[in-house]
Amino acid sequence: MNYKQTIKLTSTLFFVFALIAAVFISGCTEQPTEQEEGQAATITELTFGYQPSTHQIAYITARDKGWWAEDLAPYGIVEINDNLFPTGAPEMQSMLAGDIDVAYVGAAPVISALASGLDAKIVAAVQIQGSDIVLRTELPYESPEDLRGLKIATFPPGTIQDTLLKNWLKENGIDPEEDVEILGMGPGDAMTAISAGQVDAVFLPHPAPAMIESEGTGRSVVSSGEMLQDHACCVVAVSGELIREHPDIVQQIVETHVRATEYNSENLDEAAQIFADDQDWDVELVKQSLNEWDGTWVADPNLIINSTVDYAQVQYELGYISTPLTQDDIFDLSFYEALDQ
Amino acid sequence: MIKKHLQALSEKSVEIVSIISAVILWQLIAVYIVQNKFYLPSFTDVTFAFLEIIAKDAKLSFLGLDYQLPVLLVDLLYSLMHFWIGLLSALIIGIPVGMIMGWFRTIDRIVDPLIEIIRPIPPLAWIPFAIIWIGLNPLAAGFLIFIGAVFPIIINTFTGFKSVSRVYVEAAKVLGCNTDRELIRYVALPYALPSIAAGIRIAMGVGWMCLVAAEMFGVSRNGLGYKIWHHYYLHNMDLVLVYMLILGFLGLLIDRLLRYYVDGKLLKWRKGVVI
Repeated sequence: MNYKQTIKLTSTLFFVFALIAAVFISGCTEQPTEQEEGQAATITELTFGYQPSTHQIAYITARDKGWWAEDLAPYGIVEINDNLFPTGAPEMQSMLAGDIDVAYVGAAPVISALASGLDAKIVAAVQIQGSDIVLRTELPYESPEDLRGLKIATFPPGTIQDTLLKNWLKENGIDPEEDVEILGMGPGDAMTAISAGQVDAVFLPHPAPAMIESEGTGRSVVSSGEMLQDHACCVVAVSGELIREHPDIVQQIVETHVRATEYNSENLDEAAQIFADDQDWDVELVKQSLNEWDGTWVADPNLIINSTVDYAQVQYELGYISTPLTQDDIFDLSFYEALDQ
Repeated sequence: MIKKHLQALSEKSVEIVSIISAVILWQLIAVYIVQNKFYLPSFTDVTFAFLEIIAKDAKLSFLGLDYQLPVLLVDLLYSLMHFWIGLLSALIIGIPVGMIMGWFRTIDRIVDPLIEIIRPIPPLAWIPFAIIWIGLNPLAAGFLIFIGAVFPIIINTFTGFKSVSRVYVEAAKVLGCNTDRELIRYVALPYALPSIAAGIRIAMGVGWMCLVAAEMFGVSRNGLGYKIWHHYYLHNMDLVLVYMLILGFLGLLIDRLLRYYVDGKLLKWRKGVVI
């Protein structure tokens, strides 16, 4: 290519670049008119996110019984979609991307997402406690010291299990970075790893511990309630847009969630059946898990405020988030409080 | 001297302008159009994230000793270890398998259907068996890279051997090459080398792409692919993009090195034959 051709090509490239930049800057950043904003405010569908654990049966129960559709229809909602996520981290990623309006998710992933700019609030609790450390059958356990030097699989960084485990180890004088090897995995990979003898222990939410115990490869040695009594686990997080533009819909979501939570508590066998059908699990195993776990389904967010704010502090100390979050950054209690009136 | 440098620079002006334009466009789109670091971190966001990574240290355990090194270097060493385990295994198995299939028709008929069944299975689907068979160690990551890299090598080696002209084989026989070993050594292998080299090049690209999947299931706590997942879980999209770009640049570097040695040295005789 000679000098003249180079100059010609260079100037053409600059011209194209300038043209594209001008189009982007001038036209596409125009603000929507008031009428357009009004139109955008009307919604006809909602998308929920949830995970395959017995912690979140309330969502599945309300869906299978048609309560979401029935209760939200008067507000113009004609379609309810849901997405299943292996852990809270990708679920929150999806909410950050605007794909999820309502998330059944662990409180800890909500914190890391809020710190990354997620516009959402926790409006209700889903359950407290309910995860176990499962140690391989042949390994002894008397105190946390016995975990020193072991390989432990749990959910990825920023999840409830990761945050809780690392904090509990630190409180017991075990450095989570140096003294143990913590591997972040999805539930399937972690269960496979302990069944194949590739890790020494897992820290997972129910019903995974019950499944591992039933295979005879491991036994539950510490329940998460022993690590932090009544600790927050799953919550209902709702997008800020939905809270601001459709508080009536959010109010109904909280009401329906409370109804499903109470129903599950009173009908344990049916709740187990609903979960087993949704996830293709053996119903007897799910029943066993629900009888053995230390978790409790609750809807009142006031019960989890302290431990959730503690998670924010722990995540800050672990370097996961750059600033600690306050209760007001995380919760909107108004919807639950309005239920009493 | 300066004139020489300016001349060299002007010869590369189109490439330089292209990259600079893309960076400016990226910055403008991120800052003025998208306006959200989560959806698209800007060039400056990524630059600051890169500087943040550069300043961090990490521990590298090697032969029972701990070394404190820049985290990026530790990640790079882990990834290169996973990559080379996978690629070398793919070369050691892929080239002989492709040669044998290309030279012996019966073996081709036996092996081909098996390969064609296994080949379309994505490396990600092998994760459960990587955990069960190999464990949570660098070999498991290497196994996934091997799965991605071995088939392009087999197919290209096979194609190279299959397309050896009968005339060359018969001429070699007339000149005294009578055994399969001699014919492969002196006729088929040199003839198939360009095709094998192309297969290796494709395999390196695929293997590098498999690195992200290979480091996602707990084989190590370092590695370029692992860090993409780690920062993704914490929603640090600027750091995700930094590691993605590093992967891209290193992939390019590895490809250029391969081309330099293979095209420039091993297949030097082809200069003028094709281009």
